Amino acid sequence: MKLNIYELLKKQLKLETYVFIAILVIMAVIPPFIPSALIYLLGLTFLFIILATSWDLTTGYTGQLNLGHTVFVGIGAYTAALLQVPERLAGTPLEFIASMPKIPIWIDMLIGGILAGIFGLVIGIITLRLKGWYFALVTAILPLVFVEITLVFREVLGGEEGFSIGFENALAPTTIEKYYLSLILMAISVIILQIIINSKLGLRFMAIRDDIDLAESIGIDTTIYKVISFAISSFFAGVAGAAIVHYRLIACPDLFDIPLMLLIILSVVIGGQGTLIGPVIGAIIVYLLKHWWLKALVPMLTYLYIPINDDIILYMILIILAILFPEGIWMKLKDLYKSVIVTKIVAKRT
Amino acid sequence: MASITDLIIILLYGTTLGGILALMTCGFTLIFGVSRILNFAHGAFFMLGAYFGLTAMSYLGLGTGPSVIVGMLAVGVLALILYYLTVSPVRHNESMAIIVTLALALIIENFIFLIFGEYGITYPSLLTGTLDVFNVTITYMRIIALVISLLSLILLSVFISKTRMGMEIVAASQDPEAAELIGIDTNKVLALTMFISAVLAGLGGVLYAQIYSANPLFILKTLIYAFAIVILGGLGSVKGSIISSFIIGYILTATIMFYGARWSEFVSLLIIIAILIVRPYGLFGVKE
Repeated sequence: MKLNIYELLKKQLKLETYVFIAILVIMAVIPPFIPSALIYLLGLTFLFIILATSWDLTTGYTGQLNLGHTVFVGIGAYTAALLQVPERLAGTPLEFIASMPKIPIWIDMLIGGILAGIFGLVIGIITLRLKGWYFALVTAILPLVFVEITLVFREVLGGEEGFSIGFENALAPTTIEKYYLSLILMAISVIILQIIINSKLGLRFMAIRDDIDLAESIGIDTTIYKVISFAISSFFAGVAGAAIVHYRLIACPDLFDIPLMLLIILSVVIGGQGTLIGPVIGAIIVYLLKHWWLKALVPMLTYLYIPINDDIILYMILIILAILFPEGIWMKLKDLYKSVIVTKIVAKRT
Repeated sequence: MASITDLIIILLYGTTLGGILALMTCGFTLIFGVSRILNFAHGAFFMLGAYFGLTAMSYLGLGTGPSVIVGMLAVGVLALILYYLTVSPVRHNESMAIIVTLALALIIENFIFLIFGEYGITYPSLLTGTLDVFNVTITYMRIIALVISLLSLILLSVFISKTRMGMEIVAASQDPEAAELIGIDTNKVLALTMFISAVLAGLGGVLYAQIYSANPLFILKTLIYAFAIVILGGLGSVKGSIISSFIIGYILTATIMFYGARWSEFVSLLIIIAILIVRPYGLFGVKE
């Protein structure tokens, strides 16, 4: 019987890989069969998947509730945008960047990620040595402060409307090329995150999540590992933020703001915290729900004089899911799969 | 350089702002004390007080005075309903409870946007007229707002220290398990705390709207001030929140006077970061 349980575990591990490969293959072959508007939307969905999965690293795997993930998205986005349009920096201490040679897109995405990671490191060092409530409180107000900063430094950061970075700085010249580049970027990010989670580092993260006192007592310096987890997660958010700017060619405060944060949370809650593949599926569902399916539903409801918008519907879904299925759909599906296999094994024996 | 007049303005305006902030944050602290839940919907309760009051005035034809009472009680009832429907089922899961209250705050914000529009609405004052204090003009409304907030805070402290229900709240916040052992229904205590806190926040919101204005944007902005206050006062200390409400009130008034309102969020963040570096348990918190 012991052997069977081991095989069962092995199969589950494989199941996650198979599902991820299946998603990648499906996404790689469907572009010829779908309208180009949907191709554009799916490309952005892939970048959104990076946001959801990297948030899951800190919150789902390390157990620290990060409510300011969008701040790192925005830092990456605005860094990349300003590096491509350095003329905007005129009159600030950073003016000299304008006179330097133009930085390639891939490098500025990396710089955006590194800056976001460093900011995450600083915030993490200050807040993560304290109880989890402080981390949640501080990260929660960061988006509000950063949105305000974009309004205060309107000349440089463009205010509510943000600023455009120009067609020549796109991720790729055509939509279909952008689609495949963001698919590749997503695949690389998710694989790296999975490698981190499977490594010793990942085990320590999960030990902290499951029982922080126990982790402390077996000699894990919990603060350092919490900070590492947060910095890695912020790095990916920064890279994805920069990629989003190169994808849609506009840097805008919505990348900092709380509605995007709630979309990320909803994706991970739908998929299941601490599952990685769950947030991938959740992110696809949520992003298409928000930008495609609800776009058709909401005008119908407002036509009936119901005061509602797409965000209200999404937040209500979030509350209902948090109450009914706090462990997410992935775990539900996995339980189902497990019970099917167990019945098969039992049937074989009898 | 700040002149004497500036200092008097900061003192007067800061005290009234501090009183209103204290009404809001002591409820936030009470809820945290009893349940260890950070109630992100507290800013929404604050602003809803004003919007319920305004609705009562225009649809029920009430005067300003009764509308204040209707507004704050309506917020209390709504908070109770929301507590039993949404927060109570997840209250043992700290991060889910935070996520649920944050989602509630954003739902309320969106509804206010859709129903009342995105611009600020002015609330008719309880009292009109102004008073001159050392060449500084102050409206009677600010004075009555301060009196009302101080009276409510005194009532709250009497309720907590003298009545059985109040003592149950204290017991539950000191040790929830022990409180359950001696027969206190902590779920009911938390519901009661929610109601009281929401009523106080609603009252604060009505008073705030009468001095400044009601605006859905304040739902999240007031949260920044509330967090700065509870971290300065020490998470979980009601006394700390009340005292630091006034400190933050003075700092915010000074910031707005000398640099403009747009810097107030940034200053709050700096205060929070500074406290967390120097003295993370705040002025009155217990070192853990």
